[in-house]
Amino acid sequence: MSTIRLNWGPQHPITGHLRFILDIDGDIIIRATPDIGYTHRGIEKLAEHRNYVQIIPLVERICNVDSFNVSLGYVSAVEEVLGIEPPVRARFIRVIMAELNRIMSHLYWFAIFGVAAGLFTLIMWPIADRELFIDLAEMVTGSRVTYTYFTPGGVYADLPEEFSKRTLKTLDYFEKRLKDYETIFLHNKLYQMRTVDVGILSFNDALERGVAGPSLRGSGAKIDVRQDEPYAAYDEVEFEVPAEKSGDSYARAKIRLSEMKQSIFIVRQALRQLPPGPVRVKVPSAVPEGEAYTRVESGRGELGCYLVSDGRTQPERLKLSTPSFRNVSALAHMLTGVKVADVPIIYHSMDIWPLDADR
Amino acid sequence: MSLEVEAMIAKEIEAKFQGASIEAKVQRKRRITIEAGKEWIRDIANYMKERFDFALVISVSAIDLIREKQFAVVYHLWSPSYRILIALRTKVPKDSAELLSLTPLFESANWHEKEAHELCGVKFDGHPDLGRLLLPEDWSGGFPLRKEFKLLE
Repeated sequence: MSTIRLNWGPQHPITGHLRFILDIDGDIIIRATPDIGYTHRGIEKLAEHRNYVQIIPLVERICNVDSFNVSLGYVSAVEEVLGIEPPVRARFIRVIMAELNRIMSHLYWFAIFGVAAGLFTLIMWPIADRELFIDLAEMVTGSRVTYTYFTPGGVYADLPEEFSKRTLKTLDYFEKRLKDYETIFLHNKLYQMRTVDVGILSFNDALERGVAGPSLRGSGAKIDVRQDEPYAAYDEVEFEVPAEKSGDSYARAKIRLSEMKQSIFIVRQALRQLPPGPVRVKVPSAVPEGEAYTRVESGRGELGCYLVSDGRTQPERLKLSTPSFRNVSALAHMLTGVKVADVPIIYHSMDIWPLDADR
Repeated sequence: MSLEVEAMIAKEIEAKFQGASIEAKVQRKRRITIEAGKEWIRDIANYMKERFDFALVISVSAIDLIREKQFAVVYHLWSPSYRILIALRTKVPKDSAELLSLTPLFESANWHEKEAHELCGVKFDGHPDLGRLLLPEDWSGGFPLRKEFKLLE
Protein backbone atom coordinates (compact mmCIF):
# COMPACT_ATOMS: atom_id res chain seq x y z
CA MET A 1 0.00 0.00 0.00
CA SER A 2 1.43 3.38 -0.93
CA THR A 3 -0.07 6.49 0.56
CA ILE A 4 0.26 10.05 -0.61
CA ARG A 5 0.07 13.05 1.68
CA LEU A 6 -2.24 15.71 0.31
CA ASN A 7 -2.43 19.23 1.67
CA TRP A 8 -5.99 20.45 1.40
CA GLY A 9 -5.95 24.20 2.02
CA PRO A 10 -5.39 26.61 3.74
CA GLN A 11 -6.08 28.38 0.47
CA HIS A 12 -8.75 26.26 -1.09
CA PRO A 13 -11.72 27.54 -3.09
CA ILE A 14 -14.12 25.21 -1.31
CA THR A 15 -13.10 24.88 2.32
CA GLY A 16 -11.70 28.30 3.19
CA HIS A 17 -9.15 29.18 5.81
CA LEU A 18 -8.15 25.91 7.28
CA ARG A 19 -6.03 23.00 6.24
CA PHE A 20 -6.58 19.29 6.18
CA ILE A 21 -3.60 16.99 5.99
CA LEU A 22 -4.99 14.00 4.14
CA ASP A 23 -3.13 10.72 3.80
CA ILE A 24 -4.71 9.07 0.79
CA ASP A 25 -4.49 5.69 -0.84
CA GLY A 26 -5.85 6.12 -4.34
CA ASP A 27 -9.12 7.92 -3.79
CA ILE A 28 -9.67 6.85 -0.18
CA ILE A 29 -8.60 8.90 2.83
CA ILE A 30 -6.62 6.80 5.32
CA ARG A 31 -6.08 9.54 7.86
CA ALA A 32 -7.27 13.13 8.09
CA THR A 33 -5.76 15.76 10.37
CA PRO A 34 -7.52 19.12 10.58
CA ASP A 35 -5.11 22.01 11.05
CA ILE A 36 -6.77 25.20 12.25
CA GLY A 37 -5.39 28.54 13.40
CA TYR A 38 -5.01 30.41 10.12
CA THR A 39 -7.49 33.02 11.30
CA HIS A 40 -6.49 33.08 14.96
CA ARG A 41 -6.75 36.68 16.14
CA GLY A 42 -6.25 36.20 19.85
CA ILE A 43 -9.68 37.51 20.73
CA GLU A 44 -9.53 36.01 24.24
CA LYS A 45 -6.27 37.85 24.89
CA LEU A 46 -7.52 41.12 23.40
CA ALA A 47 -10.62 40.92 25.61
CA GLU A 48 -8.39 41.14 28.68
CA HIS A 49 -7.35 44.60 27.50
CA ARG A 50 -10.79 46.03 26.68
CA ASN A 51 -13.61 47.20 28.89
CA TYR A 52 -16.87 45.32 28.99
CA VAL A 53 -18.61 47.37 26.33
CA GLN A 54 -15.63 47.39 23.96
CA ILE A 55 -15.64 43.59 24.05
CA ILE A 56 -19.07 43.37 22.38
CA PRO A 57 -17.86 44.23 18.84
CA LEU A 58 -14.76 42.14 19.50
CA VAL A 59 -16.57 38.89 20.29
CA GLU A 60 -19.00 39.40 17.41
CA ARG A 61 -16.05 38.95 15.10
CA ILE A 62 -15.66 35.32 16.07
CA CYS A 63 -18.63 34.56 13.85
CA ASN A 64 -19.64 37.53 11.76
CA VAL A 65 -22.61 35.84 10.06
CA ASP A 66 -24.09 34.99 13.44
CA SER A 67 -23.14 37.98 15.55
CA PHE A 68 -26.45 38.47 17.39
CA ASN A 69 -26.16 35.00 18.88
CA VAL A 70 -22.50 35.39 19.79
CA SER A 71 -22.96 38.72 21.55
CA LEU A 72 -26.01 37.34 23.34
CA GLY A 73 -23.78 34.73 25.00
CA TYR A 74 -21.31 37.37 26.08
CA VAL A 75 -23.76 39.97 27.42
CA SER A 76 -25.65 37.28 29.35
CA ALA A 77 -22.40 36.33 31.07
CA VAL A 78 -21.72 39.95 32.04
CA GLU A 79 -25.28 40.30 33.33
CA GLU A 80 -24.97 37.13 35.39
CA VAL A 81 -21.80 38.32 37.13
CA LEU A 82 -23.37 41.74 37.68
CA GLY A 83 -26.51 40.08 39.04
CA ILE A 84 -28.92 42.10 36.90
CA GLU A 85 -31.85 41.05 34.75
CA PRO A 86 -32.65 42.78 31.47
CA PRO A 87 -36.24 44.12 31.08
CA VAL A 88 -38.84 41.71 29.68
CA ARG A 89 -39.19 43.63 26.42
CA ALA A 90 -35.45 43.42 25.86
CA ARG A 91 -35.54 39.66 26.41
CA PHE A 92 -38.17 39.25 23.71
CA ILE A 93 -36.28 41.52 21.32
CA ARG A 94 -33.22 39.35 21.91
CA VAL A 95 -35.16 36.24 20.94
CA ILE A 96 -36.43 37.90 17.76
CA MET A 97 -33.02 39.11 16.63
CA ALA A 98 -31.31 35.84 17.57
CA GLU A 99 -33.81 33.84 15.52
CA LEU A 100 -33.57 36.18 12.52
CA ASN A 101 -29.83 35.75 12.73
CA ARG A 102 -30.21 31.97 12.84
CA ILE A 103 -32.16 32.16 9.59
CA MET A 104 -29.45 34.37 8.04
CA SER A 105 -26.73 32.03 9.20
CA HIS A 106 -28.51 28.93 7.92
CA LEU A 107 -29.22 30.61 4.58
CA TYR A 108 -25.56 31.46 4.20
CA TRP A 109 -24.67 27.86 5.00
CA PHE A 110 -27.27 26.64 2.48
CA ALA A 111 -25.67 28.72 -0.27
CA ILE A 112 -22.15 27.53 0.48
CA PHE A 113 -23.40 23.96 0.64
CA GLY A 114 -24.79 24.53 -2.85
CA VAL A 115 -21.27 25.42 -4.01
CA ALA A 116 -19.96 22.18 -2.56
CA ALA A 117 -22.74 20.14 -4.16
CA GLY A 118 -22.31 21.85 -7.52
CA LEU A 119 -25.85 23.21 -7.61
CA PHE A 120 -25.42 26.78 -8.72
CA THR A 121 -29.03 27.90 -8.37
CA LEU A 122 -28.67 26.98 -4.74
CA ILE A 123 -26.00 29.66 -4.35
CA MET A 124 -28.12 32.47 -5.73
CA TRP A 125 -31.46 31.90 -4.01
CA PRO A 126 -30.48 31.74 -0.35
CA ILE A 127 -28.03 34.63 -0.70
CA ALA A 128 -30.78 36.76 -2.24
CA ASP A 129 -33.27 35.81 0.46
CA ARG A 130 -30.71 36.41 3.20
CA GLU A 131 -30.53 39.99 1.99
CA LEU A 132 -34.11 40.57 3.22
CA PHE A 133 -33.14 39.59 6.73
CA ILE A 134 -30.00 41.69 6.60
CA ASP A 135 -32.26 44.62 5.69
CA LEU A 136 -34.34 43.93 8.80
CA ALA A 137 -31.22 43.88 10.96
CA GLU A 138 -30.04 47.08 9.33
CA MET A 139 -33.37 48.71 10.08
CA VAL A 140 -32.94 47.93 13.78
CA THR A 141 -29.21 48.35 14.31
CA GLY A 142 -27.90 50.43 11.42
CA SER A 143 -25.36 47.74 10.49
CA ARG A 144 -25.61 44.88 8.07
CA VAL A 145 -23.22 42.32 9.49
CA THR A 146 -21.83 42.94 12.98
CA TYR A 147 -24.40 44.79 15.01
CA THR A 148 -23.22 45.62 18.55
CA TYR A 149 -26.90 45.85 19.43
CA PHE A 150 -27.16 43.68 22.53
CA THR A 151 -25.56 45.31 25.50
CA PRO A 152 -25.30 44.35 29.19
CA GLY A 153 -28.64 45.38 30.64
CA GLY A 154 -30.78 44.98 27.55
CA VAL A 155 -30.56 46.14 23.96
CA TYR A 156 -29.11 49.37 22.64
CA ALA A 157 -32.37 50.93 21.37
CA ASP A 158 -36.01 50.02 20.91
CA LEU A 159 -37.31 48.49 17.69
CA PRO A 160 -38.39 50.98 15.02
CA GLU A 161 -42.12 51.36 14.47
CA GLU A 162 -42.28 49.68 11.08
CA PHE A 163 -40.23 46.69 12.19
CA SER A 164 -42.99 44.34 13.25
CA LYS A 165 -45.03 44.81 10.08
CA ARG A 166 -42.07 44.44 7.78
CA THR A 167 -40.76 41.38 9.61
CA LEU A 168 -44.12 39.60 9.36
CA LYS A 169 -44.26 40.38 5.66
CA THR A 170 -40.74 39.04 5.15
CA LEU A 171 -41.56 35.90 7.11
CA ASP A 172 -44.70 35.26 5.05
CA TYR A 173 -42.66 35.50 1.88
CA PHE A 174 -39.85 33.38 3.27
CA GLU A 175 -42.18 30.64 4.46
CA LYS A 176 -43.30 30.13 0.85
CA ARG A 177 -39.70 30.17 -0.29
CA LEU A 178 -38.78 27.46 2.18
CA LYS A 179 -41.32 25.18 0.52
CA ASP A 180 -39.62 25.87 -2.82
CA TYR A 181 -36.25 25.08 -1.29
CA GLU A 182 -37.60 21.77 -0.14
CA THR A 183 -39.10 20.72 -3.45
CA ILE A 184 -36.32 22.05 -5.65
CA PHE A 185 -33.27 21.19 -3.59
CA LEU A 186 -33.99 18.70 -0.83
CA HIS A 187 -36.12 16.47 -3.06
CA ASN A 188 -33.70 16.91 -5.92
CA LYS A 189 -32.19 13.62 -7.06
CA LEU A 190 -28.78 15.25 -7.66
CA TYR A 191 -28.73 16.76 -4.20
CA GLN A 192 -29.65 13.44 -2.65
CA MET A 193 -27.04 11.53 -4.63
CA ARG A 194 -24.34 13.81 -3.34
CA THR A 195 -25.46 13.78 0.29
CA VAL A 196 -27.42 10.68 1.30
CA ASP A 197 -25.22 8.22 3.24
CA VAL A 198 -22.23 10.54 2.85
CA GLY A 199 -20.31 11.45 5.99
CA ILE A 200 -22.25 9.37 8.47
CA LEU A 201 -21.74 10.40 12.07
CA SER A 202 -23.28 7.98 14.55
CA PHE A 203 -25.15 9.11 17.64
CA ASN A 204 -22.47 7.81 20.02
CA ASP A 205 -19.58 9.28 18.05
CA ALA A 206 -21.28 12.65 17.89
CA LEU A 207 -21.89 12.76 21.64
CA GLU A 208 -18.51 11.41 22.61
CA ARG A 209 -16.59 13.84 20.41
CA GLY A 210 -18.58 16.80 21.64
CA VAL A 211 -20.22 17.69 18.32
CA ALA A 212 -22.64 20.59 18.74
CA GLY A 213 -25.71 22.11 17.16
CA PRO A 214 -27.55 20.99 14.03
CA SER A 215 -24.75 18.52 13.28
CA LEU A 216 -25.40 16.80 16.59
CA ARG A 217 -29.17 16.78 16.05
CA GLY A 218 -28.61 15.29 12.60
CA SER A 219 -27.24 12.25 14.41
CA GLY A 220 -30.39 11.79 16.45
CA ALA A 221 -29.66 13.72 19.65
CA LYS A 222 -32.41 16.11 20.71
CA ILE A 223 -30.02 18.50 22.43
CA ASP A 224 -30.60 22.21 22.11
CA VAL A 225 -29.55 24.82 24.65
CA ARG A 226 -32.69 26.85 23.97
CA GLN A 227 -34.65 23.93 25.42
CA ASP A 228 -32.13 22.51 27.91
CA GLU A 229 -31.71 25.75 29.78
CA PRO A 230 -33.86 28.50 28.28
CA TYR A 231 -32.20 31.91 28.18
CA ALA A 232 -33.58 35.31 27.09
CA ALA A 233 -37.33 34.64 26.61
CA TYR A 234 -37.11 31.13 25.16
CA ASP A 235 -39.09 29.74 28.09
CA GLU A 236 -42.07 31.80 26.94
CA VAL A 237 -42.24 30.68 23.33
CA GLU A 238 -43.04 27.27 21.96
CA PHE A 239 -40.92 25.45 19.43
CA GLU A 240 -39.77 22.01 18.46
CA VAL A 241 -36.24 20.69 18.30
CA PRO A 242 -35.96 18.74 15.08
CA ALA A 243 -33.75 15.63 15.07
CA GLU A 244 -32.91 13.11 12.36
CA LYS A 245 -31.70 9.56 12.90
CA SER A 246 -29.56 8.85 9.84
CA GLY A 247 -26.59 11.10 10.72
CA ASP A 248 -25.53 11.72 7.11
CA SER A 249 -24.98 15.00 5.27
CA TYR A 250 -28.57 14.93 3.99
CA ALA A 251 -29.92 14.69 7.54
CA ARG A 252 -27.87 17.70 8.61
CA ALA A 253 -29.23 19.69 5.67
CA LYS A 254 -32.78 18.68 6.55
CA ILE A 255 -32.28 19.74 10.16
CA ARG A 256 -31.21 23.24 9.16
CA LEU A 257 -34.21 23.64 6.89
CA SER A 258 -36.57 22.53 9.69
CA GLU A 259 -34.82 24.89 12.09
CA MET A 260 -35.51 27.84 9.80
CA LYS A 261 -39.20 26.88 9.92
CA GLN A 262 -39.08 26.80 13.71
CA SER A 263 -37.34 30.19 13.73
CA ILE A 264 -40.19 31.70 11.71
CA PHE A 265 -42.60 30.22 14.22
CA ILE A 266 -40.65 31.63 17.18
CA VAL A 267 -40.30 35.14 15.72
CA ARG A 268 -44.05 35.33 15.04
CA GLN A 269 -44.85 34.29 18.62
CA ALA A 270 -42.34 36.71 20.10
CA LEU A 271 -43.68 39.59 18.02
CA ARG A 272 -47.20 38.77 19.16
CA GLN A 273 -46.18 38.57 22.82
CA LEU A 274 -43.78 41.54 22.75
CA PRO A 275 -44.66 43.52 25.91
CA PRO A 276 -44.29 47.32 26.18
CA GLY A 277 -41.76 48.87 28.52
CA PRO A 278 -38.11 49.86 28.76
CA VAL A 279 -35.49 47.96 26.77
CA ARG A 280 -32.44 48.68 28.85
CA VAL A 281 -31.33 49.13 32.45
CA LYS A 282 -28.25 51.02 33.54
CA VAL A 283 -25.24 48.94 34.46
CA PRO A 284 -22.02 49.93 36.24
CA SER A 285 -18.79 49.90 34.21
CA ALA A 286 -16.89 47.79 36.73
CA VAL A 287 -18.04 44.24 37.25
CA PRO A 288 -17.76 42.72 40.76
CA GLU A 289 -15.58 39.73 41.48
CA GLY A 290 -17.19 36.55 40.26
CA GLU A 291 -17.59 34.19 37.37
CA ALA A 292 -20.32 32.93 35.06
CA TYR A 293 -20.61 30.33 32.34
CA THR A 294 -23.44 31.06 29.93
CA ARG A 295 -24.49 28.95 26.98
CA VAL A 296 -26.46 29.98 23.93
CA GLU A 297 -27.54 28.02 20.88
CA SER A 298 -25.93 29.85 17.98
CA GLY A 299 -26.53 28.93 14.37
CA ARG A 300 -23.67 26.46 14.46
CA GLY A 301 -24.49 25.06 17.86
CA GLU A 302 -23.77 25.58 21.50
CA LEU A 303 -21.57 28.53 22.30
CA GLY A 304 -20.17 28.76 25.81
CA CYS A 305 -18.93 31.97 27.32
CA TYR A 306 -16.88 31.72 30.52
CA LEU A 307 -16.29 35.08 32.12
CA VAL A 308 -14.05 35.53 35.16
CA SER A 309 -13.94 38.96 36.74
CA ASP A 310 -11.62 40.17 39.50
CA GLY A 311 -13.53 43.38 40.10
CA ARG A 312 -11.84 45.64 37.54
CA THR A 313 -13.32 47.26 34.43
CA GLN A 314 -11.67 44.59 32.30
CA PRO A 315 -12.22 40.85 32.61
CA GLU A 316 -9.55 38.65 34.08
CA ARG A 317 -10.35 35.91 31.60
CA LEU A 318 -12.90 35.45 28.86
CA LYS A 319 -13.02 31.96 27.43
CA LEU A 320 -15.18 31.28 24.42
CA SER A 321 -15.98 27.67 23.72
CA THR A 322 -17.23 27.72 20.15
CA PRO A 323 -19.27 25.16 18.18
CA SER A 324 -17.00 25.11 15.12
CA PHE A 325 -14.00 24.33 17.31
CA ARG A 326 -15.84 21.31 18.66
CA ASN A 327 -17.17 20.22 15.28
CA VAL A 328 -13.93 20.55 13.35
CA SER A 329 -12.18 18.25 15.82
CA ALA A 330 -14.75 15.57 14.96
CA LEU A 331 -13.93 15.87 11.26
CA ALA A 332 -10.71 13.88 11.74
CA HIS A 333 -12.91 10.92 12.52
CA MET A 334 -15.57 11.64 9.89
CA LEU A 335 -13.17 12.04 6.99
CA THR A 336 -11.41 8.73 7.59
CA GLY A 337 -12.33 6.12 5.01
CA VAL A 338 -14.23 8.42 2.66
CA LYS A 339 -13.47 9.47 -0.89
CA VAL A 340 -11.48 12.64 -1.53
CA ALA A 341 -14.32 13.92 -3.72
CA ASP A 342 -16.67 13.88 -0.72
CA VAL A 343 -14.49 16.15 1.45
CA PRO A 344 -16.27 19.41 0.48
CA ILE A 345 -19.71 17.90 1.10
CA ILE A 346 -18.82 16.45 4.48
CA TYR A 347 -16.93 19.54 5.54
CA HIS A 348 -19.77 21.90 4.66
CA SER A 349 -22.47 19.64 6.03
CA MET A 350 -20.95 20.35 9.47
CA ASP A 351 -21.21 24.12 8.88
CA ILE A 352 -17.69 24.88 10.03
CA TRP A 353 -16.84 28.56 10.27
CA PRO A 354 -13.03 28.78 10.51
CA LEU A 355 -13.16 32.18 12.25
CA ASP A 356 -15.40 30.62 14.87
CA ALA A 357 -13.00 27.72 15.39
CA ASP A 358 -9.86 29.90 15.67
CA ARG A 359 -11.15 32.94 17.58
CA MET B 1 -36.81 27.49 41.76
CA SER B 2 -35.82 24.49 43.72
CA LEU B 3 -32.24 23.39 43.70
CA GLU B 4 -32.80 19.92 45.13
CA VAL B 5 -31.01 17.93 42.47
CA GLU B 6 -28.06 20.30 42.41
CA ALA B 7 -27.75 20.17 46.20
CA MET B 8 -28.02 16.38 46.18
CA ILE B 9 -25.20 16.03 43.63
CA ALA B 10 -22.98 18.52 45.50
CA LYS B 11 -23.56 16.72 48.78
CA GLU B 12 -22.89 13.29 47.35
CA ILE B 13 -19.65 14.27 45.66
CA GLU B 14 -18.38 15.97 48.82
CA ALA B 15 -19.14 12.87 50.89
CA LYS B 16 -17.58 10.52 48.34
CA PHE B 17 -14.26 12.38 48.10
CA GLN B 18 -13.85 13.53 51.68
CA GLY B 19 -10.07 13.24 51.66
CA ALA B 20 -9.61 15.34 48.54
CA SER B 21 -9.98 18.78 50.17
CA ILE B 22 -13.04 19.09 47.98
CA GLU B 23 -15.58 21.89 48.08
CA ALA B 24 -18.81 21.68 46.10
CA LYS B 25 -21.14 24.65 45.87
CA VAL B 26 -24.41 25.20 44.07
CA GLN B 27 -23.89 28.43 42.17
CA ARG B 28 -27.40 28.73 40.74
CA LYS B 29 -29.92 26.55 38.94
CA ARG B 30 -28.07 24.08 36.68
CA ARG B 31 -24.63 25.23 37.88
CA ILE B 32 -22.37 23.51 40.42
CA THR B 33 -18.80 24.52 41.18
CA ILE B 34 -16.48 21.83 42.48
CA GLU B 35 -13.05 22.78 43.67
CA ALA B 36 -10.50 20.09 44.49
CA GLY B 37 -6.80 19.25 44.57
CA LYS B 38 -5.29 18.59 41.15
CA GLU B 39 -4.46 14.92 41.80
CA TRP B 40 -8.17 14.22 42.33
CA ILE B 41 -9.57 15.82 39.21
CA ARG B 42 -9.50 12.71 37.05
CA ASP B 43 -11.12 10.53 39.72
CA ILE B 44 -13.84 13.06 40.39
CA ALA B 45 -14.56 13.52 36.68
CA ASN B 46 -14.70 9.77 36.20
CA TYR B 47 -17.08 9.36 39.11
CA MET B 48 -19.31 12.17 37.86
CA LYS B 49 -19.38 10.58 34.43
CA GLU B 50 -20.32 7.11 35.68
CA ARG B 51 -22.73 8.22 38.38
CA PHE B 52 -24.50 11.28 36.94
CA ASP B 53 -23.76 11.08 33.20
CA PHE B 54 -21.47 14.13 33.07
CA ALA B 55 -20.19 12.74 29.79
CA LEU B 56 -19.28 15.86 27.89
CA VAL B 57 -16.37 18.24 28.41
CA ILE B 58 -17.59 21.44 26.77
CA SER B 59 -14.78 23.74 27.78
CA VAL B 60 -11.34 23.69 29.39
CA SER B 61 -10.06 27.05 30.55
CA ALA B 62 -6.69 27.91 32.03
CA ILE B 63 -6.63 31.18 33.94
CA ASP B 64 -3.45 32.98 34.93
CA LEU B 65 -4.13 34.27 38.44
CA ILE B 66 -1.50 36.96 38.91
CA ARG B 67 -2.30 37.67 42.53
CA GLU B 68 -1.88 34.03 43.53
CA LYS B 69 0.99 33.21 41.16
CA GLN B 70 -0.71 30.07 39.95
CA PHE B 71 -3.04 28.82 37.25
CA ALA B 72 -6.62 27.84 37.72
CA VAL B 73 -7.69 25.07 35.37
CA VAL B 74 -11.45 24.78 34.96
CA TYR B 75 -13.23 21.91 33.25
CA HIS B 76 -16.86 22.43 32.36
CA LEU B 77 -18.78 19.17 32.18
CA TRP B 78 -22.34 18.84 30.96
CA SER B 79 -24.75 16.10 31.84
CA PRO B 80 -27.33 15.61 29.09
CA SER B 81 -29.65 13.59 31.32
CA TYR B 82 -29.59 15.85 34.41
CA ARG B 83 -29.15 19.05 32.36
CA ILE B 84 -26.62 20.39 34.82
CA LEU B 85 -23.23 21.96 34.18
CA ILE B 86 -20.40 21.53 36.65
CA ALA B 87 -17.28 23.64 36.79
CA LEU B 88 -14.52 21.34 38.02
CA ARG B 89 -11.84 23.67 39.23
CA THR B 90 -8.31 23.14 40.45
CA LYS B 91 -5.15 25.15 40.92
CA VAL B 92 -1.66 24.32 39.71
CA PRO B 93 1.54 26.21 40.58
CA LYS B 94 2.94 28.35 37.78
CA ASP B 95 6.45 26.84 37.76
CA SER B 96 5.20 23.24 37.48
CA ALA B 97 1.87 23.58 35.72
CA GLU B 98 0.98 19.93 35.25
CA LEU B 99 -2.05 17.78 35.81
CA LEU B 100 -3.54 14.52 34.61
CA SER B 101 -5.26 14.76 31.25
CA LEU B 102 -8.95 13.91 31.00
CA THR B 103 -8.70 12.98 27.31
CA PRO B 104 -8.28 9.22 27.95
CA LEU B 105 -11.71 9.34 29.63
CA PHE B 106 -13.39 12.06 27.58
CA GLU B 107 -12.62 12.31 23.88
CA SER B 108 -14.36 15.70 23.88
CA ALA B 109 -11.60 17.16 26.10
CA ASN B 110 -8.92 16.51 23.47
CA TRP B 111 -8.70 19.79 21.59
CA HIS B 112 -9.70 21.93 24.55
CA GLU B 113 -6.72 20.64 26.56
CA LYS B 114 -4.48 21.02 23.55
CA GLU B 115 -5.50 24.65 23.30
CA ALA B 116 -4.97 25.31 27.02
CA HIS B 117 -1.50 23.78 26.74
CA GLU B 118 -0.59 25.83 23.71
CA LEU B 119 -1.90 29.21 24.84
CA CYS B 120 -1.27 29.04 28.57
CA GLY B 121 1.41 26.41 28.98
CA VAL B 122 -0.40 23.95 31.23
CA LYS B 123 0.85 20.43 30.65
CA PHE B 124 -1.68 17.60 30.59
CA ASP B 125 -0.06 14.25 31.44
CA GLY B 126 -1.39 11.39 29.36
CA HIS B 127 -2.73 13.54 26.53
CA PRO B 128 -2.15 11.78 23.17
CA ASP B 129 -0.90 14.82 21.26
CA LEU B 130 0.01 18.19 22.74
CA GLY B 131 1.32 19.67 19.51
CA ARG B 132 0.53 22.91 17.77
CA LEU B 133 -3.10 23.81 17.20
CA LEU B 134 -3.77 27.52 16.74
CA LEU B 135 -0.32 29.11 16.67
CA PRO B 136 2.10 28.89 13.73
CA GLU B 137 4.40 25.87 13.63
CA ASP B 138 7.52 28.02 14.07
CA TRP B 139 6.06 30.09 16.92
CA SER B 140 8.60 30.93 19.63
CA GLY B 141 6.90 33.85 21.36
CA GLY B 142 5.86 32.04 24.53
CA PHE B 143 2.37 31.49 25.88
CA PRO B 144 -0.01 34.25 24.73
CA LEU B 145 -2.61 33.85 27.46
CA ARG B 146 -0.14 34.24 30.31
CA LYS B 147 -0.30 37.69 31.86
CA GLU B 148 3.40 38.38 31.29
CA PHE B 149 2.79 38.16 27.53
CA LYS B 150 2.31 41.80 26.56
CA LEU B 151 0.38 43.13 23.60
CA LEU B 152 2.16 45.50 21.21
CA GLU B 153 1.18 49.09 21.85
